[in-house]
Amino acid sequence: MGGLLELEGLRRTFGSLVALDDLTFTVPSGQVVGFLGPNGAGKTTTMRAIFGLIDLDAGVVRWNGTPVGRAQWRRFGYMPEERGLYPGMLVGEQVEYLGRLHGMSPHDAASATRIWLERLEIADRATSKVEALSHGNQQRVQLAAALIHEPELLVLDEPLSGLDPTGIDAIGHVLVDQARSGCCVLFSSHQLDLVEDLCEQVTIIDHGRLVVSGTVDHLASSGARRLVVRVEGERTADWARSLEGVSVSEFAAGAVRLVLDDDVDSDSVLRAAMGAGRVTEFSFGRRRLSEVFREAVR
Amino acid sequence: MRFVLVLVIVAVALGLRILVRQTQRNRRLATESDEHGVTPLEPSPHRGGLAIGANLGGVGLVARREILERVRGRIFRVGTIIILLAVGAAIVIPKIHSSTTTPPQKVGVVGAPNAVLTKVIKDSGRRGNVPVRVVSEQSEESARAALRDGDLDVAIVNGDKILVNQPVSSDSTTDTATVVQVLAPELGVLRAYQQAGLSAPQIEQVSRARPVPVESLQHTNKNNKDVNKGTSVIGVILIFLMLNQYNTWILMGVMQEKASRVVEVLLAALRPIQLLGGKVLGIGLVAMGQAILIVGFAFILSKAVGSDLLRGTGALLLLSDLVWLILGYAFYCWLFAAAGSMAERQDQVQTLALPLTLPILIAYVFSITVASSGNPSLLFKVLAYLPPTAPFAMPVLVGLDQVAWWQFLISVLLAIAGTAVMAWIAAGIYRRAVLKSGQRVKLRELQSGPRRPRPTSRPTVDPA
Repeated sequence: MGGLLELEGLRRTFGSLVALDDLTFTVPSGQVVGFLGPNGAGKTTTMRAIFGLIDLDAGVVRWNGTPVGRAQWRRFGYMPEERGLYPGMLVGEQVEYLGRLHGMSPHDAASATRIWLERLEIADRATSKVEALSHGNQQRVQLAAALIHEPELLVLDEPLSGLDPTGIDAIGHVLVDQARSGCCVLFSSHQLDLVEDLCEQVTIIDHGRLVVSGTVDHLASSGARRLVVRVEGERTADWARSLEGVSVSEFAAGAVRLVLDDDVDSDSVLRAAMGAGRVTEFSFGRRRLSEVFREAVR
Repeated sequence: MRFVLVLVIVAVALGLRILVRQTQRNRRLATESDEHGVTPLEPSPHRGGLAIGANLGGVGLVARREILERVRGRIFRVGTIIILLAVGAAIVIPKIHSSTTTPPQKVGVVGAPNAVLTKVIKDSGRRGNVPVRVVSEQSEESARAALRDGDLDVAIVNGDKILVNQPVSSDSTTDTATVVQVLAPELGVLRAYQQAGLSAPQIEQVSRARPVPVESLQHTNKNNKDVNKGTSVIGVILIFLMLNQYNTWILMGVMQEKASRVVEVLLAALRPIQLLGGKVLGIGLVAMGQAILIVGFAFILSKAVGSDLLRGTGALLLLSDLVWLILGYAFYCWLFAAAGSMAERQDQVQTLALPLTLPILIAYVFSITVASSGNPSLLFKVLAYLPPTAPFAMPVLVGLDQVAWWQFLISVLLAIAGTAVMAWIAAGIYRRAVLKSGQRVKLRELQSGPRRPRPTSRPTVDPA
């Protein structure tokens, strides 16, 4: 397997609303790519554009250099946000049916269905109707349906929303394994800490435009310096707020995260902290994904 | 007419056979391609045959799912059993009713036994469709006593007086009244012959007089017409019920696929026309299977109990009902699919379906009225040629024997042409509306909306 998804200059308007505005980015194979953006940023529209489910005003989606079409879509796997299944159909039959629609033989579809339902720990629900399953288990069925035909590209819209920790682990592991085996995985989520754990790369869009794209590692180590300071008995962090060139990014459980401008000396911050009380923690921190996100879509 | 029906049935059977063969061929090709490591369903301009096969494969899979899901549904199974029971009852009950021998009217004759009188009494019973038994009575008194006790129904005293227990009015329809109403004038005539001095052989000869035959220029058979009226009405009701059921399936099926977003997953693997075509074909096959089951059941049961249903043009009428149910489904299913693709909720779908059910409802009510009265107006005859109303009006005309084979054929051809136009319009609406989520899609939006782009027509940027 292995491939490269390229989105180039995607533009789509709905009346006066610009949903996608010259959006360009790539998704390499072998990695889990987090697709982030505030509500209404255009994530779902982008995903639908990859599958030709909306008409683009301009732009092109390419797979390994070829504009995507029917032949490519059949080798992709798609999991739309919530639902996306026949509520009254049996779980096993539904997954098998979708496999067959993607060109699998009856035998291959049946055995792949068994394998995936077992892997996602819902084999015992194969003969239940989808609507009888919990939300988390329905998500697992959806994932099985997206994976059954061993897609080269997996596009998942909010696959982790509303899941309990075991569900998140189960689906998360599958996504990482798929990427390791050479699949191209693109998924959207608002749970940034989960994205940080699962993804090697993130793409952040806002108002239909790309704002940030890069590896999680690079994004965490780039940008302004961050300090984590804990002052005993301090409950307001007022000492930090008055400092020139320093902004409070977060204040929780007695520790304050500060973002320092380039010309600010960290020693001056330490002095100010000591002036406010006994300093019990003072360390340089990496940029969190949530901070990257907030700064990107500000 | 019989020829046309046979032709239509053979055409449908051939069509199905070709479809099954194509699907099998496609499956075989797909398996072979799998073995050779080729992606089997990839459309390619150099492998046109395979691409056509792939299209049928997708349609076939969708149709198969529809058939399985529908046939498994409890509503379908219970509904079919109820319809079969109702049809069975409609065939068997009139038969039981007609074959139940009503007790013969006992007519007592006071006076000397008279062969001519006995013959007149029996003929009268036959003409009034009432079985009659003639017994002789000793005297008028014993006859009166027997009438009072209910041992006799009618007594004739000396050939010139009729006695009954209860008064008989001219509009009474009891068996006794019928016998009396026919018998009284006959006895009067018989008496007049005797008074005129005719001898017994002369009287017998005269009483054998029968009306001369009347020949009409238009051929009609009153008995068949009466029988077919009932069959016509039952046929129209069945077409109405089944058409409504299948249209609702299409409407709700398309709407639910859209509402559950499963359509997005499906359309990532299928063309919109494949999904729509598969749904229409699958439900259509279920419809045809159910209709054939019902008609076959009606045929066999009618044969078994010797029902009047198949007398005259009855069998032809049943076949015509079957043909028009299928043609009606073929015409309306596209419209309902288009309506379903424009809605995401039950209330939206009902608003959209209402204008579509109106022609069905009007044609149904009109057809039931005409089938009962037996007098089709010119307007009704025109409706029998319009594709939206023909599925109801044409079978009624067939039942009334008021249509020639070539007229039937013209109506069928018009229905097929109308269906093709509907399918073309509906496929366009479906393709544009089914992926538009949020609010109900308005027709106006679809007129100017861009088409779903074809991959080959997309703007491509040279990768180099």
